[in-house]
Amino acid sequence: MDPGFPLRYVRDDSRVCGAIGFALALACFVLQPSPAFADIKSGTEFLSPDMRRQQADETRNPAFFWVEQGRELFSRKPTPDGQACASCHAEPQQSLRGAATHYPQVDAASGKLLNLEGRIEQCRVERQGQPAFGYESPELLAMTAYLGSLSRGLPMDVKTDGAAKPYYEAGRAFFERRQGQLNLSCQQCHDGLVGQKLRGDTISHSAGTGYPAYRLEWNDVGSLHRRLRACSLGVRATQFDYGSPEYLALELFLAGRARGLPVETPGIRR
Amino acid sequence: MSFNARITLPAQARVGEIVEIKVLTRHPMDRGGQSDGKGGTVPRMILNRLTATYAGEPIFRLDMHTGVSANPFVSFTTRAVATGDIVFEWREDGGATYTRTARLTVT
Repeated sequence: MDPGFPLRYVRDDSRVCGAIGFALALACFVLQPSPAFADIKSGTEFLSPDMRRQQADETRNPAFFWVEQGRELFSRKPTPDGQACASCHAEPQQSLRGAATHYPQVDAASGKLLNLEGRIEQCRVERQGQPAFGYESPELLAMTAYLGSLSRGLPMDVKTDGAAKPYYEAGRAFFERRQGQLNLSCQQCHDGLVGQKLRGDTISHSAGTGYPAYRLEWNDVGSLHRRLRACSLGVRATQFDYGSPEYLALELFLAGRARGLPVETPGIRR
Repeated sequence: MSFNARITLPAQARVGEIVEIKVLTRHPMDRGGQSDGKGGTVPRMILNRLTATYAGEPIFRLDMHTGVSANPFVSFTTRAVATGDIVFEWREDGGATYTRTARLTVT
């Protein structure tokens, strides 16, 4: 269920909590310190053995259809006299291997934080002179899944210092801030209750290393931001837009937390 | 790209060997019934049948209904008899058909 609109009655910060709530929150954080980043496990660790095998097996993982579509888009010219992605990025298996491990990253020219989707759209608009695909369009998902798949197995390695530091800190603040009608922070579940059950699913460390992933709940491939929107809805907080600064900063924080974990795109998730 | 298929066979097989054939299909398998915003409902649009023929003979048939997930996967086995094409045909609601061919090499 992903209705795609924010709930009407939301409370997205902790200012409205009383002092008691604040004290409890503080106690909560003291009792549940962040695990060392080395302890962060991939979402795959929380899947059943059968789903893990399905994820690894190209003949059974449906997300590879998106990878295949992305590979075609990459080498196809958008217009007969235009430039294909492959015109500049020749031999993507070598030249772009590992590229996805460095996203999100700060764009040197604009100083803005870009994730892989943002970089693809930037290339398409500024260099190819084409209209943007649009976030969560099948084409952008396919391109992102393809570029992500080129880094399969390589460790995540995003920059969190220098120009990226303010974004990283904003992402951390988002992760730690209580929000929504249920007044929960990301951290309370994804650090404090990892391995426990939330309805039928197991709470993970929220390492987004498998995205864009095929989620059984969606019957489809979706981006990390679609997954984050589902989480925001779950705690009845404001759902931010796809590609919004809030989710981009959070994506950077999660990628920094997941440093060293292998890229699993395209993953399978529940 | 609403339809695509990924068919996996052993590269080659001996005569009489039992081979596993894996078929992963890309299709939304829309069971329909949602409002179309104009007072009507969206019609069902699923692949309702998959058939496979090998050496001219039908070897497999699968009837699918609305309980089958999007992007269905199925695997089945057959006995390798001679080198030849295995022809897969999907029938979609509305009468459209999609065909894919995979070659089984028998030594």
